Amino acid sequence: MNTLLAVIIGALTVYLAYTLYARRIDRHVIQSDPKRATPATLYMDGVDFMPTNRNILFGYHFKSIAAAGPIIGAIVAANLWGWLPAIIWLILGVSFLGWASDYSGIVISVRNDGNSLSAIAHRLVSPRTRTILFVFIFFYLLLVAGAFVGIMATVLESQPKTQLGVIVLTVMGLLLGQMLYRWRTGLVGATVLTVGLTLIAILGGGWTEEVFKAFTAGLNNLSGGAPLVTYFDPTLANFKGADAKIMPSLLFWALAISAFCYAGSVLPIWRMAQPVIYVGFWITALAMVLGLTGALVAPFMKPEVAQFVIPAFRGFNPQLGPAGIMPLWPMLFVTIACGAISGWHALFGAVGTARQIQNEADMLPIGGGSMFAEFLLGLLALLAVSVGAKGAPVGAFATGLGGFISVWGLPIQYATSLAFAAFIVIVLVVTQLLFRVQRVTLSEWLGDVFPPCRNQHIASLICVALAILLMMTGTWVYLWQLFGGANQMMAALSLLLVTVWLASVGKNWMYAGLPAAFMWVTTCASILVTAYNLYSNVYQINMAAGRTIPVVGSALMILVALLLVVAALYIGLDTWRAFQRYRHRPVQQRKPAAARA
Amino acid sequence: MTDAAKPKKKGGILGVFKDIVYGMSTHEMTRHAVRTRASMEHLFILITMGDLLGVPILPPYYSLRLLPYVTPQIAGWKRRMLRERDVTDVLG
Repeated sequence: MNTLLAVIIGALTVYLAYTLYARRIDRHVIQSDPKRATPATLYMDGVDFMPTNRNILFGYHFKSIAAAGPIIGAIVAANLWGWLPAIIWLILGVSFLGWASDYSGIVISVRNDGNSLSAIAHRLVSPRTRTILFVFIFFYLLLVAGAFVGIMATVLESQPKTQLGVIVLTVMGLLLGQMLYRWRTGLVGATVLTVGLTLIAILGGGWTEEVFKAFTAGLNNLSGGAPLVTYFDPTLANFKGADAKIMPSLLFWALAISAFCYAGSVLPIWRMAQPVIYVGFWITALAMVLGLTGALVAPFMKPEVAQFVIPAFRGFNPQLGPAGIMPLWPMLFVTIACGAISGWHALFGAVGTARQIQNEADMLPIGGGSMFAEFLLGLLALLAVSVGAKGAPVGAFATGLGGFISVWGLPIQYATSLAFAAFIVIVLVVTQLLFRVQRVTLSEWLGDVFPPCRNQHIASLICVALAILLMMTGTWVYLWQLFGGANQMMAALSLLLVTVWLASVGKNWMYAGLPAAFMWVTTCASILVTAYNLYSNVYQINMAAGRTIPVVGSALMILVALLLVVAALYIGLDTWRAFQRYRHRPVQQRKPAAARA
Repeated sequence: MTDAAKPKKKGGILGVFKDIVYGMSTHEMTRHAVRTRASMEHLFILITMGDLLGVPILPPYYSLRLLPYVTPQIAGWKRRMLRERDVTDVLG
């Protein structure tokens, strides 16, 4: 297998699934009508509801859904089960489930006055469902924040070449915000300056490598070389498990990332969060475009970086730690989340994109099209890790992507630095936004019961502290899979809601109902498997060794896992009742308003 | 034919590419700027609310001078203020 063949398979998948299946559902089931008025045109308020050009909205939606998910998921899955199951799930997932979830999240909102999924759940299913959904979203955000902080801290600590780039990115983000909003500088000039300097710092990470190595050594000397926390990590020693250590330098980077995210959460959005995202976008776009085109031509120009070197299949239940289980079903289906199907997309599509749709005919190209583009991103990550294969999973990804980029003549060490930076930037910009949303969710959820949560600083600090605690368990693989379970469960819940809505308006609900049922069962099972793994592979072993922090962290994760399952059961029950109610007695629809000529 | 009445030229593939890049890089910042302006307008409308209702609070001369600028914003303002919101709205 080589990269060209994989890209051709990917492109064919996109073409066939879009033209033969997605378009058919759009025409015959949803019956999108260009003459029907959308909420953007009906309720235009100049802010949230605003008709927007299809191409602009495609770019906006794609950028908003394309985060670290498709990259990390593919990396972990390829290392656990091999590249073949990973690529099969990516293809089947996006063809039958992923596009349907993204597209339907937009459709249900457009056809329900631009309401969010939780507001529609309140109306169509039950008020309880909406409350449970809020709780679910909070823990979902907590899991992803913990997983991302852990991954980034590990990469930054182990890769001193990347540290300069991240620091300069932060400074340039702040400078860009100041230039655009205070000094009123032109966008093009400010972009060239800030993106250019960030790129130089990323490529020149090697210049300061020794400085940061000495800094790390100095930090670790603070504790006399002794670890702050020792924990059992089931991914070490070739997946047999071994003791690992959290050194002061790792905690420092975790705290530095947390401080970055805290600032992103409490500062005005123009001051930091948005400019950092903007600068980061150009860096990642550059790396991804060079990487994807490089993967396409690598078999001809540089065949040594185009051949898959990891095994195609490693077994249905690979060993991970002494007592854990990792069955292909259901675990693969939550490990690779965003490239195949993701709840985040539906959640965002309903409140962000749907309110800007100017024409119903745009719903499929934007919702479905963005999901297929995200699939290509997941495929690129899978290719990179399949040809990279050296070192830890993220290192393998960076080596592979760096190889693809180097096809265009960039020396391999610079290309690998760019690939590492692209990975960190993607995760970093997403994490700072997550903390912002999580802080608001916490205030909304607990603000009445515990008024201090309404304070943005207290709420942000609670979110950061919980994420750090989860990170200190050291079991980021399980944390990732728990996040994947919550994310996929979110997708299942949105599809369940779409199924209820389709039944309520007397339409064929099968295209959403079957994926919803499959994902609901799979994710419930995966969360329970992860809870078992946490108990047998982390909690018990660390408890026997008398380690408090990993025990508390893993107990918290098990508790969150059980809460997620209970929430999913309640929502499943409520939606099933609502489905039965509407299936036999669809609601009479009012005549839709026509769009202006 | 006036400029407004002329059919818009499509930019071809380059135009599509430019739109997509704009959507990915800058559209969110534009939306944020619009949101900031909207929150300023909320204050503006609040200042002149008394005169809109016929109950002058500020010296009427100044607020009556402001009314022509406020009136076109009322429809959008009403939609923004009366719309039900929840936590997930933060994502958009």
